[in-house]
Amino acid sequence: MKKILIVDDDLNIRDYIASLLEDNGYEIITAKDVPEGLELAKKHIPDLITLDLDMPGEWGPRFYRHMSQIPSLKNIPVIVISGLTGNEYAITKAVATFTKPFDRDELLKVIDETLNI
Amino acid sequence: MVNQLLLMDRDSDHASALKMYLERHRMEVNIVSSGKDLRHYLDNQRFEIILGDPYFEQTETNNFLKTIKLNSPGIQIIIYGSRKALDLAMDDFGSSVTNYLEKPINSKALDLAIHHAQKCIANERKLANYSQRLSDLHKAQALYHQLFNEVPCYISVQNRDLRLTAANTNFKNDFGSEIGSFCYEIYKHRSSPCPQCPVVQTFKDGKSHGTEEVVTSKSGEQYNVVTQTAPIFDDKGDITQVMEMSTNITQIRQLQDHLSSLGLMLGSMSHGVKGMLTALDGGIYQLESGLKRDDPQRVANASEQIKQMTNRIKKMVLEILYYAKSRELQYETVDANELANTILAMVLPTAEKNDIQLDASIPDSLGAMEVDPSWMQSALVNFLENAVDACIYDTEKESHRVKFTVAAINQDKLCFTIEDNGMGMDRETREKMFTLFFTSKGSQGTGLGLFIANHVVENHGGNIVVESTQNKGTHFNIYLLRKRPRHINIDFLKEKKIINLI
Repeated sequence: MKKILIVDDDLNIRDYIASLLEDNGYEIITAKDVPEGLELAKKHIPDLITLDLDMPGEWGPRFYRHMSQIPSLKNIPVIVISGLTGNEYAITKAVATFTKPFDRDELLKVIDETLNI
Repeated sequence: MVNQLLLMDRDSDHASALKMYLERHRMEVNIVSSGKDLRHYLDNQRFEIILGDPYFEQTETNNFLKTIKLNSPGIQIIIYGSRKALDLAMDDFGSSVTNYLEKPINSKALDLAIHHAQKCIANERKLANYSQRLSDLHKAQALYHQLFNEVPCYISVQNRDLRLTAANTNFKNDFGSEIGSFCYEIYKHRSSPCPQCPVVQTFKDGKSHGTEEVVTSKSGEQYNVVTQTAPIFDDKGDITQVMEMSTNITQIRQLQDHLSSLGLMLGSMSHGVKGMLTALDGGIYQLESGLKRDDPQRVANASEQIKQMTNRIKKMVLEILYYAKSRELQYETVDANELANTILAMVLPTAEKNDIQLDASIPDSLGAMEVDPSWMQSALVNFLENAVDACIYDTEKESHRVKFTVAAINQDKLCFTIEDNGMGMDRETREKMFTLFFTSKGSQGTGLGLFIANHVVENHGGNIVVESTQNKGTHFNIYLLRKRPRHINIDFLKEKKIINLI
C-alpha cells in the first residue's frame, strides 16, 4: 500500500484529505506543520506528499527546501494544495498544484498517475 | 528745504524788508496785511510757518492763530512785536508759539527762531511718520494675531524642552490652553517624548519635518493629524523655538482606511474563504461517504465539521456586513447563561492549545436578556479572545490565566467581567483600543475587532469599563442591559458619515 504524507495546518482539511485518500486505498500519515512533516517524512519515507503553503511558523516552500536536502526524501513527488493566489509559482518542481477548494476526482487522478497505479 | 511762510504785518515796508531777508534764506514768503487777506491765504494755501504780529487786526487775528494751532498743530508760529505786545501774546499763546521776537527784530534772533521752527517741523514730520508706522505695525500685528488664531489648523510653538509657549485658538479649544505643559502630554497623553518627534528633529537640523500622528483631544477623541514643523530663529540665527502646525485629517483617513481595509479584507478573506470552503467540502465528502458506508461515527464527525465551518463563515460574513454596511440590531430574548457558555466554548480550545488557564464563573440563575445574539456573541468572543491573545503575547510571566465571570448587578443589568494577567496596555493603547484600525497586534490585527465590539455594546445601551496596567494585565467590565433600550439604536457608521460617502 502506497504511503502519502499530508502536511496542512487546518485539522478539518487534513481529516478530509486523509479520509479521501484512505477511502481510495492509500496509507496516510498527517502532519500539522513543517517540523512535524519533516520528522514524519524521515521516519516513514512516504511515496508522495501533499503540501499546504500558508502555515504558521515555517511555510510550505521551506519544507520543500529542507526535504530536497535530505537524500532519502529529495525524490519524493510533492503535490501543492493551497488557497494562496499564485501558488503554482511557490514550488516549481511540484508535480501538480491544486487551489482550495480542490476537485477531488482530479486530485485522485493526479495521485494515481504519479504513483503509477 | 524750502518752507512756506506766511508773514502778517500791516507795515508794508517792514514786511517787504523781512520778506527779502527771508527769501535769501530759501523761504517762500507770502505777506498778508489785513484779516481778510489772512483768511483768504489760510483757506487756500498750506503754510508751515506763520510769522507776524498777532494783533495786527486787533483780537480777531489772535483768535485765528489759536484756531490754526488747534486744527494744524504742525504749523510753527513765530510772533514779533513790542515788549508790551509780546507780554500779552505770551499770556495768550504760551508755549504753543515757537518763538517770541522783540521789535526791532534782531536778524540773529530771527535766524535762530526760523531754524528752531524748521527743526520743529522736521521733528513733527518724523513723529507723524513714526506714528503712522507704529499704527501700521499694530494693524499688521493684529492681523497676524488674527491669522494665527483663526487659521483652520492647530498651531503650537514649543521650546527646547518641548513645552508649549504659544498655541492658537483651534489648538486651545481642542487640546486645552495649558501653556507651559509638555507637548507630548497635551497631544498624546504620554509621559515621555514621542519617538521620531519632528520638533526635536527641527531643533537638531533647522529643517522642516513632517509626520502623521494619532492624537487625543482634551475630550478624549482621537484625531488623525498631519504635522509639519518650522524653526523660529532669534536675531543671532539660533533656533530658540519650533512651530508645529497640524491639520486634522481624521475624516479623510477614516474614509481612506475604510476603503483600503475593504480591499485588504477582500484579499485576506478570499484566502480564508478558500480554506473554509475546502473544509466544508471535506465535511460533505465525509457525510456522503459515511452514509454510503453506513458509518455513524463518520456521519457525526462530518455533521460537526459542517456546523463548525458554517459558524466560521457566518462570523466572517457578519463582521464584514457590520463593517461594510451596518444593519439594524435584531433583538431576541436569550438565556444569559447559555450565551456566556457558548462564548466560553468558542474560546476555550485556543486557550487550552496555548496552555492558558481559562476559568469561568457563570451562575445558572442569570436569567434572560434581550440582545442581538449574533452581534453580542461575536462582540463578547472578541473581548475574551483578546484576553487570551494578551496572555499569548506576554513573554514576562510563566503561567497565564483568564477569568470570565458573569454576574447580575441588579434586576436591569448584567456584568460580563473578563480579567487576564497578560501583557496589559500602556496609556496610549488604552485610549486608542476602540479606535478604528488601531491595533497593538501588528500585522496579526485588523483594528476592526474591538472597534466593532465596542459599538455593539454601546448600541445595546451597555458600557465598558477598562482597567489595565502594562505587564500586569487587563480587567474589562462589560455592563449590559437585560431589556432592549428604547432610544439607543445608533447607526454609528452612518452617523460618522463613512458609509454614506462610499
